[in-house]
This record gives sequence, structure tokens and C-alpha cells, in this order.
Amino acid sequence: MTLATILVIAAVLALVVVLRVTFSRGLQVSTDRSLAAQLQPIDVAAFRNLVDPAEDAYLLRRLPSAEFRAVQRQRLLATAVYVKAANRNAAILIIMGQDALASSNVHTAEAARQLVENATLLRQNATIALLKIYVALAWPHASLGSTPVVQRYERLNVSAMLLGRLQNPAAPVRIAATS
Amino acid sequence: MLQAHSILWHYLWVAPNVILLALAFLMWKRGLVKTFPIFFSFAILSAIGQLAVYVADIAPSVSAENFWRVDWISMLVEGVLKFALIAEIFAFAFGPYSSVAKLGKFLIRGVGIALVLAAGVAAGYAPKDSPYGLINGAHLLEQTIYLIETGLLAFILFFSSYFHLRLSRPLFGIALGLSISACVHLAAWAVIANAGLKNSTRYHLDFFSMAVYHLCVLIWCYYLLVPAKVRIEPTVPPSEPPFNSPSAPPTTKDLDELNEEMERLLHR
Repeated sequence: MTLATILVIAAVLALVVVLRVTFSRGLQVSTDRSLAAQLQPIDVAAFRNLVDPAEDAYLLRRLPSAEFRAVQRQRLLATAVYVKAANRNAAILIIMGQDALASSNVHTAEAARQLVENATLLRQNATIALLKIYVALAWPHASLGSTPVVQRYERLNVSAMLLGRLQNPAAPVRIAATS
Repeated sequence: MLQAHSILWHYLWVAPNVILLALAFLMWKRGLVKTFPIFFSFAILSAIGQLAVYVADIAPSVSAENFWRVDWISMLVEGVLKFALIAEIFAFAFGPYSSVAKLGKFLIRGVGIALVLAAGVAAGYAPKDSPYGLINGAHLLEQTIYLIETGLLAFILFFSSYFHLRLSRPLFGIALGLSISACVHLAAWAVIANAGLKNSTRYHLDFFSMAVYHLCVLIWCYYLLVPAKVRIEPTVPPSEPPFNSPSAPPTTKDLDELNEEMERLLHR
């Protein structure tokens, strides 16, 4: 009976996942038009500064150990905010890119494919980076390794702008705020 | 009404399989066979297999032992086709995106191994619900197939949802129908194989599983045969950008600056 209960619970949980995906798919279709408004431009220079290993090394040299850990935790929390924003923007761009994949214009379709490819890779990197950040919060001396997220984000920005220009030159798509 | 060999029982066993054969015929007429060859094979072979089991059940000339042999063969063929179908769904969903496909393959192998182990453990701990090995084995085989199938399909749907990758309408329909059927059958077979039910309760579970399978066949028909509604997007006037982006459009200078920065980062 215990085994039956465990398997029934597993089946119900799987069914919940399936139904949730089904409903979110329906919602995604109905809210596609407001997607671009949800993009949140990111200050890439500030983001890069936060994840710069040289900055970490400088702070480690200059600050006492306890103070370094406190400062590093604040920097990590700030980095997490950036990575979450990048992750969310990547998700939005994946949806926008997929909409443009069916375009009859070869250049637009290719730009859309490139955008989706870059955005999925960024989402993957951002997820791993977030996990690393949470580990580093417990152990602030751990290497963060978020630099690939910054690099991928910049590539994604180029892809998004290119697709935006091809689709509607008057309405820019920008995910990086320039200072 | 909810008795074995009632009209509803005959209908729920035969109708979904006849509809599935009709769906396969319509797929062939509409040229969908090239796009979804495994689903097409699944529709035909699974329906024929189920109808063969039905005939073996009602034909007085077929012995109980032979009925279970036919059931075993049908289950094995259906099981192989289901896993091939899951591979087809995975390939269609992630194949076009190399980065996600690579991670997905790595993860689904891990999930697959974990599910096979879990199914083995579940089968090992399952009590014998019949004195006949042929019947016990059939129940455990069903449970094993549905457990692995449910886990793999839930993973594919969750993974595609996490990356916001939109499965095409027919592919989503195939995955949805197969997932719902797998989840409900897993729960039903887990109870049948492990809980030692009375016959009357067991019939109710059988009816529920059959009704859900009928629903899943209808889901496949809907998603494969009914075209999606075409949305007409309103055109946005160029003077009113619809989002909160910086007001100035990006210039070639922006792109050059970003490219220079990227080069610097890559060569650091």
C-alpha cells in the first residue's frame, strides 16, 4: 500500500507539471503582445564590475577578512539581482524570437534563430550562475564564475537589437542600458 | 453500467482504438506521416494491439493463458513505440537549439537512469496480486513502462517550459495526450498492482483509465487535425514604440561598442 501511495503521489505531481505547462502555454499566447514592455534594460558596465575577479582580488587584499565577507555578500546579492533580470530578459527574448522564426524574410528568420540560440544559452548560464551565487553567499571566498553570463548577455543584446531592427526599425529592442 | 462486458466497457475499449486508426488514416491523407512517423506507427500498432487484446478477451475460443500472452506482446510493442515516440518529441522540441539540446540530452539520460532504477525498485517491492506469474508480470510491466514514461514526459515538458521553448501545436498535443494518459495509467496500475483491490473497485479504476485514454485520443485528434486559430496582430504606429526602452533607437555605434567590448572580454 505504501508503494502504491508513493507512485500515486508521483503520478499526481507529474500531472500537475503537465497541466501547469498546458495552462502557461495558453497564457503565453494571450500575453505575447505585451512582452517587449517587460524587458528590463541592464547596466552591463556595472554588472561586469560586480563579477570582475580583479575587483574580488583587490577587495580581498585591502579589507580585513570579516569585512571582506560582509562586502562580498552585498556584492553577491546585487549580482543575483542582475543575473535574475538577465535570466528574465532571456526568457522574454526566447518567446519574441520564436514568434519571429516563422517570418517570410530570410534575414529576420535567421536573426530570430540566432536570438533564440543566444537567449537559451544565456538562460542556461544564468541558472548555473545563480546556483553558484547562492553557494558563494555561504562561502564568499568561492570563485563566482558569472563572467560568461555578462559576455553572453552582451551577445544577446546585439542579437535582440538586430532582430528588432529587421522587424521594426522605429521601435528599438534594447536589453542593455548604456551609461 | 460499470461492469466488465457492459456496453460502456465495450465502447471504451473499442472506440478510442477505432478513432486512433481513423486519425492515422487522416494523418496519411494530410501528409503528416513524414513529419511524425513514430506517432503514426504508434497510432496504428497500438490500436491494432489493443483491438487484438479485446478480441482475445471476448472470444470464447481464446484461453485465459493465451489472452495474457497476447496482452504481453501488445504491451511490449506499445512500450517500445512509446519510448521511440518520446525520443521523437525530444528531438522536435530541442533539436533546433544546439545549446539546449546538449544540456537536455545530458539531463534526460540522468533522469532516464534514475527512473529505470526507481521502476526496478518499485517492481521488486511490489506484492504479488495474483498466483499466476503471467498476470503479475503483466501488471508490473505496465507499472514499469508507465513510471518511466511519465517521468520522461514530465521532464521534457518542464524543461521546454523552463526555457520557454514553444512546442509546435501537433507536437504539444501528442506530448499532452501521452503525458495525461501515462500519469493516470501509472496511478491506476500502481493501485491495481500494489493495493490488493476488490474486483468491483478494480473495475471502476479500469473504467476511469479507459475513459481517460479515450479523452487522450480526442486530444490527439484535436491538436493534429484542427488548425490553430490565426491571430491578427495590430500594427504598431512607428511613432509610438510599445515598450519602455531608451527613446533613442540603437545605432551602429552601439553595436560596434558592444562588439569591441565583447572582443576585449573574449581575449582577456
